[in-house]
Amino acid sequence: MNVYLLSLLVFSPLLGILMISLMPKKEERTIKQFGFFGTLPPLILSFFLCSQYYSGVALSAFSIKVDWIRFGNLEMYDPKLFAVNYELGLDGLSLSFILLTTIVSSLAAMASIYIKQGWKGYYLLFLILEIGMLGVFTAENLILFFIFFEMTLVPAFFLIGRWGFLEREKASYYFLIYNGIGSAVLLVAILILFARTGTTNIAALTQMMTMGGVSLFAPISSSMKYGLCLAFLIAFAIKLPVFPFHSWMVRVHAEAHPSIVMVHAGVLLKIGAYGIIRFAMGIFPEQYESLALALVLMGVISFLYGAWLAMVQTDFKLVLAYSSISHMGIVMMGLGALNEAGLQGAVFQVISHGLIAALLFFLVGALYERTGSTMLPNLGGLARSMPVFSGFLLACGLASLGLPGMSGFISEFMVFLGLFKGQPLLAAIAVIGLIFTAIYILRAVMLMTFGKNDSLEEKEKRDIEGWELVPALVLLGLIIAIGVYPNLLGGPIQSTIEAVMLALGGR
Amino acid sequence: MTGVPLSAYLVLALVLFCIGLYGALTKRNAVIVLISIELMLNAANINLVAFSKFGVTPSITGQVFSLFTITIAAAEAAVGLAILMSLYRNRKTVNVDEMDIMKH
Amino acid sequence: MMENAWLIPIFPLVTFLVLLLSGGRLRERGAYIGIIFTLASFVLSVLALVERLTAPTYKTTMDWLSIGGTQLTAGFEINQLNALMLVIVSFVSLLVQIYSLGYMKGEERFSTFYAYLGFFTFAMLGLVMAPNLVQLYFFWELVGVGSFLLIGFYFYRQEAKDAAKKAFIMTRIGDVGLLIGIILLFWETGSFEYEEIFQAVQAGVIPDGSITLIAILIFIGAVGKSGQFPLHTWLPDAMEGPTPVSALIHAATMVAAGVYLVATMFPLFLASDAAMQVVAVTGGFTAIFAASIATVQKDIKRVLAYSTISQLGFMMLALGTAGYVAGVFHLMTHAFFKALLFLAAGSVIHAIHTQDIERMGGLWGRLKWTGPLFLAGTLAISGFPLLSGFFSKDEILMAAWANGNYFLFSLAVITSFLTAFYMFRLFFMIFAGESRIQAEQVKESPAIMLLPMLVLGILAVVGGYIQTPWFGTFLGEWLVEGNEAVLGSGHSEGPVWIMLLAVLIALAGIFLAYMIYAKTKLPREWLVKKDSTLYRILENKFYIDEIYYFTIVQLIKGIGLFLSYVERFIIGGLVTTVTGSIEGLGKIGSKLQSGQVQQYGMIAFLGLAVLLVIFALTGGYLR
Repeated sequence: MNVYLLSLLVFSPLLGILMISLMPKKEERTIKQFGFFGTLPPLILSFFLCSQYYSGVALSAFSIKVDWIRFGNLEMYDPKLFAVNYELGLDGLSLSFILLTTIVSSLAAMASIYIKQGWKGYYLLFLILEIGMLGVFTAENLILFFIFFEMTLVPAFFLIGRWGFLEREKASYYFLIYNGIGSAVLLVAILILFARTGTTNIAALTQMMTMGGVSLFAPISSSMKYGLCLAFLIAFAIKLPVFPFHSWMVRVHAEAHPSIVMVHAGVLLKIGAYGIIRFAMGIFPEQYESLALALVLMGVISFLYGAWLAMVQTDFKLVLAYSSISHMGIVMMGLGALNEAGLQGAVFQVISHGLIAALLFFLVGALYERTGSTMLPNLGGLARSMPVFSGFLLACGLASLGLPGMSGFISEFMVFLGLFKGQPLLAAIAVIGLIFTAIYILRAVMLMTFGKNDSLEEKEKRDIEGWELVPALVLLGLIIAIGVYPNLLGGPIQSTIEAVMLALGGR
Repeated sequence: MTGVPLSAYLVLALVLFCIGLYGALTKRNAVIVLISIELMLNAANINLVAFSKFGVTPSITGQVFSLFTITIAAAEAAVGLAILMSLYRNRKTVNVDEMDIMKH
Repeated sequence: MMENAWLIPIFPLVTFLVLLLSGGRLRERGAYIGIIFTLASFVLSVLALVERLTAPTYKTTMDWLSIGGTQLTAGFEINQLNALMLVIVSFVSLLVQIYSLGYMKGEERFSTFYAYLGFFTFAMLGLVMAPNLVQLYFFWELVGVGSFLLIGFYFYRQEAKDAAKKAFIMTRIGDVGLLIGIILLFWETGSFEYEEIFQAVQAGVIPDGSITLIAILIFIGAVGKSGQFPLHTWLPDAMEGPTPVSALIHAATMVAAGVYLVATMFPLFLASDAAMQVVAVTGGFTAIFAASIATVQKDIKRVLAYSTISQLGFMMLALGTAGYVAGVFHLMTHAFFKALLFLAAGSVIHAIHTQDIERMGGLWGRLKWTGPLFLAGTLAISGFPLLSGFFSKDEILMAAWANGNYFLFSLAVITSFLTAFYMFRLFFMIFAGESRIQAEQVKESPAIMLLPMLVLGILAVVGGYIQTPWFGTFLGEWLVEGNEAVLGSGHSEGPVWIMLLAVLIALAGIFLAYMIYAKTKLPREWLVKKDSTLYRILENKFYIDEIYYFTIVQLIKGIGLFLSYVERFIIGGLVTTVTGSIEGLGKIGSKLQSGQVQQYGMIAFLGLAVLLVIFALTGGYLR
């Protein structure tokens, strides 16, 4: 049972796909219901996994490995050579990402009720996207990782391009071009590694590169390793994204439908951070170390640049988009700090931003449903007509600016703790960003909720209610839970972080 | 027995092939191009026959293959000339330079 | 009792949650929930204080977050200082909540108000109980949010909105300093726990330069919260909140947090003369700076706000001149008399619905209770002999003198004079002279508002007697007990003439105010002409807001605008270049597609040749 659990988890959205594809196009209500129910099996399975983990089952027990593709005829030397196996596995880090994925997906599926047309196609693509995301976080080898990675791109392209706002098609092309370039770089790096080492298994590669394991072929020179490390970094920096690769993400955030952006900002961007930790950091620790300064620099620039631009935007979605860039800058700073505090902070920031961004975009969706606008000059005084909504918005804004008691604080605190040890000067420059964050969040939130003029028309005056409270409460609850008792998340990721740090020289 | 050495066959084939390649790439008359292609095929045939006698494991396979090639080359020449004829009928030219559009 | 002290902040938190979840359905009943829970925390605080009088410091922690091998803990600690603070905070909060029952009557969002009060009280109590710096920072920021919510309570008013935003951002600037200080301190000492930090400081393992830097960074946090120059501008604007809020935030709690922080980290500051100097000079300058502004303000609450800034400057001055006890003592007495003054001011506003003191006057006979209570507060803050403010201010002057810093001492003396002057100017302009308001409209506030004022009034009068030169220095000795080596003795000795000087100065200030504003023997423009430059500078608060606006705010906006152009043209241009060049490549490619089969053949042949050459040279592998 145990070994099939992960495959079951990854492919469980297929059930929903099957159900929906059998339904007639017109059945809006049923399709939406089944679309939501389709995200429940992975959610339940991931909770089950989590409970197994807490009851003491080793996560390695869930690994599965099946022979799949074999290149060449090298069995006589080593049966592992040039074989691409179907192997899924789990550790603390991927477990937390999987939980993030399943939770955000379910809530986003709920928020997709706001979708006005083409439900069937929407939910089919949505569930395929979820398979891709789950696969990315469980894949144990690079080829499999890449397949799932591409599997997220295609549905996302259509989801952005079809169900968004006015310039959605342009946005989806931007998405495709940037991510296409990223994937190409990634694929080249993966193939070179495969050709040179004969394996794509992440654990085996890590072993080979860090411990100097034996390869049948000529050893990889250090400049080659630099090139590969750089290729991974670029591919995932585009995905994350950090300055100067960010312009696709701004468009996607502004033009895609909010429920897509929930998934996009909540999970898809996080693949970038996951990839950097797993591949760039894990496989090439030495090279990574010497590139770390550049990463921190990019992180600091993104952090300040994003925050600064967020201060002058007039569209709330754009404020959030630039704020995401800024927050991903924090991730980059943590990853470049090269110590446990920084790395752990980066992981916390990834998870925390996933939750916060999902909640913020859920609120954007709920708002757009009522006002038909997210332009700040058109909004105001919502605290009177929608007090509950405004409360959530304020709470979420505060979480985003790193208020203690919410998850954002823990991550920012740890990242800066690490960065002040690693790069004190850059850290001192970066902290200014914390003030900017407060400024742009308060500016946007207060423009919307405070003030006398109520922007809502009389008939639209209804607060968020009923099912809409569920995603908001769940996400806010998680944000606060991590903020109040961070060891909740700190526990599972500890072992992964220690392993990575050990390879980095155990600092 | 002091026969002709392998290298002589190969050099002959090489010369033939190069002539054929040169012709196929540079000549403007489609008939000459077709003939040049025949030349290259025949160069390959010489190689096949030569290796069937002087190869690591001499066998009849090479000669059989060259028979196949000759047959196919004949068919190919027939088809090629047929296309050429119809082209000529339509375009009033056998000049390769002028045949750069697929559609009519 | 002390082991259950964690309940103290939990009670107000429960208020907050209950009132929030009830969603305003409780209306006025919400107030009683708030009051009952706050009463419970007050009782617990008193019990904890009483027990702490004899028992040793109690501390308990649990694991909270592990970073690699480092365990961060959460817990609470009851020592002398925070036992005292717990009582002050919960007490003032309780009184303010009772008072608000009357003041906020008829307010639509009554229970929301109490929810915010509960949240703020929770944060403040949590702050003073924190046993380590991370936890302190945690609640430090929550206090900021609590004040943000309370100041912006009237969210539909533009001024309230701006004030709330300003308060949050200005204090955030200070917080960032504090955060850096905490982090640097961690890397120097390897711990966030107070005890371990102080041990490391005393063991001398930290380089002097680092101590100074860290202490100053931590002080920046205190500057932001306690409204010291140059981060003071949020505090007067914060008067846009409801008046009880001002009493709570600006008297006993939030602004005192900065002073509390310096007092808590006192051993660290003591280790660096330069840092102490910075604290003292900032405090002294702020004291006289704010006092001078207070002399010309026309809004009753703004005068009190600048007075608060000035008094906080006094406390910082005391701490900076090694007067630990003096600073904490003044913090306590100030909490009582300033809360009293704010509540009394609220009562005045409640009665006549204006905050402009030029439109007040002659209220002494009309407000039979508010008047005397306001007078008691005014006398106490002015340092009138035998009232609480007299003793604590005296203690500060002694400390400054004993420290040997005569410049700061004279600053403090001048500030005392100004304090007495502007406070009595305020008092006389409200209560003396002609009435400028129709008599029928003026009504004394209800008993529910007067009762808390009465309690505070009594404390403002007698609160100083726990630390006097004559009847023993109980407070001081208890505060430094077991720590005399670091914190100094419980009482600063100084020449007797200082006390006489203080009395004379206070009386002189009162007399001058009396002559100008009550007797009108002297014209109002006797000191400074209304159209003179000095007056205009003071009235406009030294143009600090304007300076900030035209330098920092404009700079940030300008850079923001500049960056948005960078985004549009350079980054956007980059993208266009990339897509354009790909398009161009495609065009070139389609040109190559000439239809010349012979050309294709040639290229294929050349490609093969190149590949063969590479193969021959490398043997097929890239190195």
